[in-house]
Order: sequence, then structure tokens, then C-alpha cells
Amino acid sequence: MTTLLRTPSTWPAILLARRDEADPTDLAAAVRAGAFGGLTRAVRELGPAATIGLIEEAKLRGRGGGGHLAAEKWRVAARTPAKARYVVANGYGADPGSTTDRALLETDPYAVIEGAAIAAFAIGAEEVHVAVRATATDAIGRLEAAIVASLEAGFIGDDALESGRRVEVLVRPVQGAYLLGEETVLLKALESKRGQPEQRPPHPATRGLHDQPTVVHNVQTLAAVPYVLRHGAAAFRAIGDAEAPGTILVEVRGPDGAGVAEVPLGTPLRDVIALVGAPARGRKVKAVVVGGPAGGILPPAKLDTPYAFEALRAVGAHVGSGSVIVADDRACIVDLARVLTRFCADEACGKTIPCRIGLRRIAEIGERLTARTSRAGDLGLLVDLSADVVGSALCDHERLATLPLMSGLRYFRAEVDAHLERGECPAGVCRPIARPAAAVPGRSRPTSRQSRAQA
Amino acid sequence: MSFLSQLIPGFGIAKGMTLTLKRFFAPKATIKYPEERADTAVRFRGRLQLLWDENGLLKCETCFQCAQACPIECIDMGGLDTKGRFHVHWGAPETYGERREESALRRSGRVVPDPAFEPFAAAELVEVDEILARHDHDPAEMLAILEEVQAAYGHLPVAALKRISETTGAWYAMLYGTASYYRHLRFEPPAAEDQAASIAARRPTEAGYLASLEASLAGGSAATTPGRRRRSDA
Repeated sequence: MTTLLRTPSTWPAILLARRDEADPTDLAAAVRAGAFGGLTRAVRELGPAATIGLIEEAKLRGRGGGGHLAAEKWRVAARTPAKARYVVANGYGADPGSTTDRALLETDPYAVIEGAAIAAFAIGAEEVHVAVRATATDAIGRLEAAIVASLEAGFIGDDALESGRRVEVLVRPVQGAYLLGEETVLLKALESKRGQPEQRPPHPATRGLHDQPTVVHNVQTLAAVPYVLRHGAAAFRAIGDAEAPGTILVEVRGPDGAGVAEVPLGTPLRDVIALVGAPARGRKVKAVVVGGPAGGILPPAKLDTPYAFEALRAVGAHVGSGSVIVADDRACIVDLARVLTRFCADEACGKTIPCRIGLRRIAEIGERLTARTSRAGDLGLLVDLSADVVGSALCDHERLATLPLMSGLRYFRAEVDAHLERGECPAGVCRPIARPAAAVPGRSRPTSRQSRAQA
Repeated sequence: MSFLSQLIPGFGIAKGMTLTLKRFFAPKATIKYPEERADTAVRFRGRLQLLWDENGLLKCETCFQCAQACPIECIDMGGLDTKGRFHVHWGAPETYGERREESALRRSGRVVPDPAFEPFAAAELVEVDEILARHDHDPAEMLAILEEVQAAYGHLPVAALKRISETTGAWYAMLYGTASYYRHLRFEPPAAEDQAASIAARRPTEAGYLASLEASLAGGSAATTPGRRRRSDA
């Protein structure tokens, strides 16, 4: 089970509106709260074209990190001639440090099912695949129970809402690789193939699952769709950022706690990290990692940045997996960037050479910095290599995996220089660059450099 | 003809010189490489050759990209894959018999533990056949097939992979590529603890990442690379 954080009462709740429900799979309670009202309106009132128009008017954007307009994908998929069309809901939640998708599936499975059914109705798809992490058994159990209940009530199935249209929702447990969070990789896994990204275009909206037009959305995007249908585009646009309306789930991880919270897009980072409380007495926030393992490391000076797609990109971070990690002054930025980059390099799928080998070399530069074995020109190499990896990238993983070290270099240059030029770690974390020996009794003999420093 | 050659003196020489002169005036096949280049077939890729880096290590990372792309499945490899997992695939004995020799492995630059030289154990394939029948031998359900085989045997025996390849029509290299990509699938029987442990030490895990991240945030870095000590101070 995931931990849900309490948010200020003035913040609107769309995705986690049913968080206090005793049994999230209780269909009667969900319908009383408005579930399937959106689907009913789309099917009986609006029709496919007007539904897409309403989503476009609401400016709903993908919550998977890219921030693409949902209506654009729907329109392209609906327009492309095909034998079949598919809707894929990505609830895999690739980042091990973020449980946002799982939290949503556990809290409100009906919103995801309804949103996916609306998308299927709008583009003319008959099958919806909901990809879930195979180890998230709670989420899978609730999703399956909710699908059975919706099927029995006739909201989905062979004749969904007596519209004569078939909408089948399938739960697809997947596991085994970080990259499954990437849309084309997920489609490969759903086709039982090796998970490697594809060149785009053609985008999945024109050629996706089984080479047919496929709308791939994060489960959060789909869960916001029923709200738009029920309350109208204007009500949705009134929430959050003008360019990216609505709310998004964020996993905030601080030194003293972690949890998932629903945050209106455009909320300043300062307010987001305040959800896990202030740092312990005597400590202060040193950096915030925004975007997961391939996220950017931002300094406290950037805490007024709004949590929104473009604003974060501008400062060298991104929404990504929806993870926000607060580091206090115990952490060493170089070491933090090393850990993040190493994970990204290890998780490269191996398809493209810049990613497979370039990321490994970048991770090694980070490791050399922390181990005081840096070579002359390492920083120049880091900058050049990062530019090359980003420039020749096939998917967003490699484009973003250079961010931890590059944003570290951008905002914490003094700390990087201390490692590189003086062989010191100001935070006293990196080995063999350690704190002065006096501070750590019983440790190995101080190095000659440390002896000189103490003398 | 032999009668004539005996009658006319020097006939043999004239015959030989005729051929010489004919070749002398025939168009030449030799070109002044590299100034001139011969036209090669569009699909010509030259001889397969592995390259070495400045440290004397193979640049090949056993990613199986080339094996998957090869239309006639003539490319094959063994060693550590990109996830740090060890596996050697030998192919059919008549094709790859030579590579079973230890010296061939040494030539390929791989450090290979001894168990690799043991031929792969034959496995009882009744269960594999049952699983395949349940999935109608459909390669589109490959992940489900592999997961069920692993559940039945505890790992993916090579003999099972070969049977799956033969009966579904999926290329072995493609199948191997799929199976080696997903981290929850494994090729080592759980009983082979030594090998499993050494692989686990090299294999990055989500838990390992989270532990390193926690440690880094708390001001003490965890060992992420083999051979590094864990920092124990607070």
C-alpha cells in the first residue's frame, strides 16, 4: 500500500478525490460520487468528435512526463484508417522511488477504467490494455475487481452503455525493466517482445500496438478525463497552470518521510516539498531532485519554480516520474548525481550506442569524481559527451539521463570543483575523500592530504 | 591433336603463348586500391570482426543486436550480457563445435568460469510442451510462455528455450534477446548458488538503487560497484 500525503484544503482534488473511500472497488459508492457520468455523457450526448473537442478545449496534457496534448493523440488515432485501434494505459510506474501510478490505481480504479473507456469510445478502439507493475498486487486486485463490477453493470463490455460498441478492458501485468515506462517499450512488452524503443515518427497514435493506431496515456491522464466530461472544460482549465491545467500526482520524498500527493500543476516547488515537512532542526534544504532517476538537481534558489512541464524544463529538470526528492545538507551533490546516473546507465536497454556506452562513460566520470581518480579534461568530456548523447538520442531516457550530472554541474559548480581540483568533499561523503580523521574515530589512517590539512 | 603436336616442332609453345597473349590483352581485373574502389554488392558487410579497446578488452558488449538482426542466424556469442548476466549459447554442435574449446574462448577474450564448459543439461520437456500447447505455440504470447516455463523449472533451461524456438518458429537469438532483457527471467538454476550470487552482485536492482539513494541522501554513500566497502559511519 502506498502512503498518501494530506494537502492544503484549498487544493482541488481530481485524481485522489475518493481517497477516503472505505472500499475503492465499491461500484455503487463510486457511481454516487459521479463515476461513469463522464462516459455516459460522451456516449449518449456528445459522440466521438465532440468528446475529442472537449478534451482539446480543456487543454488536457499527458501526465507521463512528456506533457503532450491528449486531444492531438486522440484525433490522429481516430483519423488514421485501421483494422483495429487500441488504448494503452501506462500504470507501470517505472521509477522505483515513485508510487504515484500505483497509488491512483489503488485509490480510484474506476476513474482509470472510465477515462480509458471514454478514450476508446472517442477513437473507436475496442480494447483497452492497462499495464500495471506485476508486483503491485493490491493495485492489480482492485483494478480487476473494478473491471468485473463495471462489466456486470454494463458500463463496459460487448455493448457498453447500450451503444452497440464493444469496449474491453484488460489488465496486463508487466515487469522486469525500468524502460517499460517509455511508451514504445511498453508496447513491445505488451507484444511479448524485447523491450526496446522505436524510432518516432511514426508515433504510436498512427502505428502502435500490433502496428495499429494506439493512444498511450499515463493512468493519471486518463483518470482526469471523466472530470473534464462531468464538469466541463472551463472548470478543468480553472485548476492549475494556464498552459497545463489540472492536477498531477507527485511522490515527495524528504529526509523524514515520503508519500504521494495530488498537486495542481503550476504549484511552486517550495509548496510541494513543504508537504513532507521542514528539514530537521539544524538542517536545511540543499537540493531538490525533480523527475526521478533522470531528474534535474535544483538548488534552493530555484524553489519558486512552478511544478509544470515547461517551467521545469527551463531550469534543467522535468516532471518525469512525478518524483520530488529533498536532499538536506548531509548529502553530497556529486555523490547523488553519481547514484542517479549509474542507475540510468545500468537501465539502458542497449539499443543505441550513445546510450549504451555513452551513459556508462558519463557514469564513470561521476564515479571518478567521487573516488578522486578524475582525469584531466573530465568535465569537458562530460559536457561534450552529454551533448552527443542528447543529440543522438532515440528515446527520452538517454535525453534525460545526462541531467543529474549536468544540472549538478550547472548549479553546484563549486562543489564539483572542490572534488575535482582539491580532492575534497564539502559534505564529507565521498570516499576516499573523507572527513578529517579526527571527526571519525577508529577509521583508517588519514591520507597525507588530510594530515596536511590538519597540520 | 596429339598427333599434330608431335609432327610440328614448337606447337606446344605456340599453344601456351596463345593463352598468354590472350590474357595479356584481356581487360585487367586488378584495380589501384585505395584510389580506385570496386563496386560491391549492396548487402556486402565484409568480414565479421570484433574490435578491442585500448585496455585490451573486447568492445563487444554481448547485446545480441547483431545476432537478432542476422537473417540466417549465423552470428552467435557468449559471455556477459549488458545486464552483467553470464550466459553462453553454443548453438548446434556441428556449427559451433569448435567454439566449445577452451582455447577458442580465450581467443575471444572472455573470462569464463568453469561451469560454462559443461554442456547444458538436458531437461525433461514435457511441461514445456504442455505450456506451449496451452498458448497454441503462439510467439505473440512469448513472455507468458517464458514466465510459465520459469515457474515450472525455476529457471529457463537452454533445452526449453530451444524447444520453444523450434515449435513457435521464433528465432533463437530473438528469443534469447527477449529472455535476457527482462530482469525477472533467469538462466541459472537457483541451485547454482555460487554463480547466482556472483551474478546478483553484478546485476543492478531497484532495491540496490533505492538503498544507494537513501544512503547518499543521508550523507553516507553505499557501495554500488563490486569491491567497494560500505561506509559505516553515521
